[in-house]
Amino acid sequence: MNYSLMPERREGPGDPMPKSPSPLEEGGGPRRPDTGSPDKDSLLKRMRKVDPKQAERYRQRTGE
Amino acid sequence: MLNRIFGLETEYGLLIHEDRPDHSPTWFAHQIRDHLFQVQRRGLLDLHHRGHDEPPGNGGFLTNGGRVYLDMGHLEYASPECHSLSDVVASDRAGDLLIQQAIEALGVSDHVSLIKNNIDHETDATFGSHENYLVSRRFPFSRRGLAPLLTFLVTRQIFTGAGRVGAARPQDAWIQMDRLIVPRTAVGARGGVNLPFQISQRSDYIVNDFFEWVQHNRAIVNTRDEPLADPNEYRRIHLLLGDSNMAEYATALKLGTTGLVLQLIEEGLAPQGLEIDEPVEALQEISQDQERNWLIRLQSQRTISALDIQEQFLDCGIRHCQGQDEETDWVLAQWASVLQDLRGDYQKLVGRVDWASKLWLLECFRESERLDWGDPLLKSLDLEYHNLNHAKGLYYGLLEEGRVPRLTTDALIQMAMDQAPKNTRAYGRSALVRHLLGSGEAMDSDRSGTPEGLFPAYVINWSIFQVRGRAPFPMPDPFRTYLDDVRAHLEPIIV
Repeated sequence: MNYSLMPERREGPGDPMPKSPSPLEEGGGPRRPDTGSPDKDSLLKRMRKVDPKQAERYRQRTGE
Repeated sequence: MLNRIFGLETEYGLLIHEDRPDHSPTWFAHQIRDHLFQVQRRGLLDLHHRGHDEPPGNGGFLTNGGRVYLDMGHLEYASPECHSLSDVVASDRAGDLLIQQAIEALGVSDHVSLIKNNIDHETDATFGSHENYLVSRRFPFSRRGLAPLLTFLVTRQIFTGAGRVGAARPQDAWIQMDRLIVPRTAVGARGGVNLPFQISQRSDYIVNDFFEWVQHNRAIVNTRDEPLADPNEYRRIHLLLGDSNMAEYATALKLGTTGLVLQLIEEGLAPQGLEIDEPVEALQEISQDQERNWLIRLQSQRTISALDIQEQFLDCGIRHCQGQDEETDWVLAQWASVLQDLRGDYQKLVGRVDWASKLWLLECFRESERLDWGDPLLKSLDLEYHNLNHAKGLYYGLLEEGRVPRLTTDALIQMAMDQAPKNTRAYGRSALVRHLLGSGEAMDSDRSGTPEGLFPAYVINWSIFQVRGRAPFPMPDPFRTYLDDVRAHLEPIIV
């Protein structure tokens, strides 16, 4: 994040921000995920808790 | 990224978990907004009419330089101006967290869910995720000059789409054919409840290539000329065709690739000869293609896949932009990686591309529960992917499993809830909001109103503000912080 890199940071409110992990650093930003399947059991458990009728209850207006 | 200011505007949905709720989503949106401004004191409510649908008190600027407001009954968050992808990702997620935490603080999180999506499967309502890119006024903003952008935008959904179950009902799905806007079914396109899954949420609702409105006749490129900056220097490219992304990676790649394509166009280096024969039709056909061949016809009558088109833009980006800065190189590398993986099993994209994550989750559930695509439960699971409650949302389930790459950190998101990027105009605005909050001017934000005939205590807009008794303070350059000037301007009234 560029917050901490800017010369004006000393004038800003609050503490200087820590530097964000660089996308290019090892262990930092995005990396290609393992191609194996995530743990399906815990995800299936989460999905089984979903209210099956919630899509009917959503009832949103068109926005913009 | 070079010479680029990014911003995101997100309209949220509110799901009320009751059969016959006492209050509407809009009622809850008012409660959440009031809690943010009046209890948590996250910012200053507007005291002036910003527009016919934005009366005083409808919303306001935050200490992080962004805005929260109500738009057509939806809670909306606009990020502060950001000069890097890292900042815009953190600032966008900061908006999610601000609203989610307000719901929890109000004690209603058990029966109200904050949903970051763009459609209602039942009512066919749609609401937006708008992208903003600052470009030079010299940008070739003509039908011819924008042709490469149109081609890029129609095809980028293969990695930016958030996916959805089904399609908009045919009567609400219109497309442009030969300059006429016609029902999609009239040209034999597939649509409606029989479509199992498509890769984009918004593509069904885009009916024009270029147009200036946002609420009707939505276009691939919104042509409203509202730079929110010096109109002699800048233009704001305002896009409303994209989906709200849950994956930080997808958000960064969407903004990063689009930013690079705008740079290529500005510099006259974009690929040529790729004009799509019917761009609106192609947008919907790509989204709905169940085989994911993503073939489209060009004006030259050549047939080409969306992947091949994206490869041409990527090659052009590598030739002309590689090495210009760290973020550009990250975008080019990840763009190449995603396009390569899209040529194989979509499961390789799980965690990085939202439609792939959602499709994989739905397929797992269908297999486990032996459901067919017509089961209405799948629409509820589709919604749950976008639930911003970390304990419930399906995206956060994937994140918990460690399979979603992060581009920012929770600590930086927390910080971005309160602080502005320190290298854009948002920083000076943030200082203004803090000083007015600290000086008691915020007390004037009571919507009982300003005495008739008096200038309100403050008027704040994106590119200018005025404090009562002081001259207007223009902020026409989004790349400047204006911090010292803002402080000097306010000094006599700073407590």
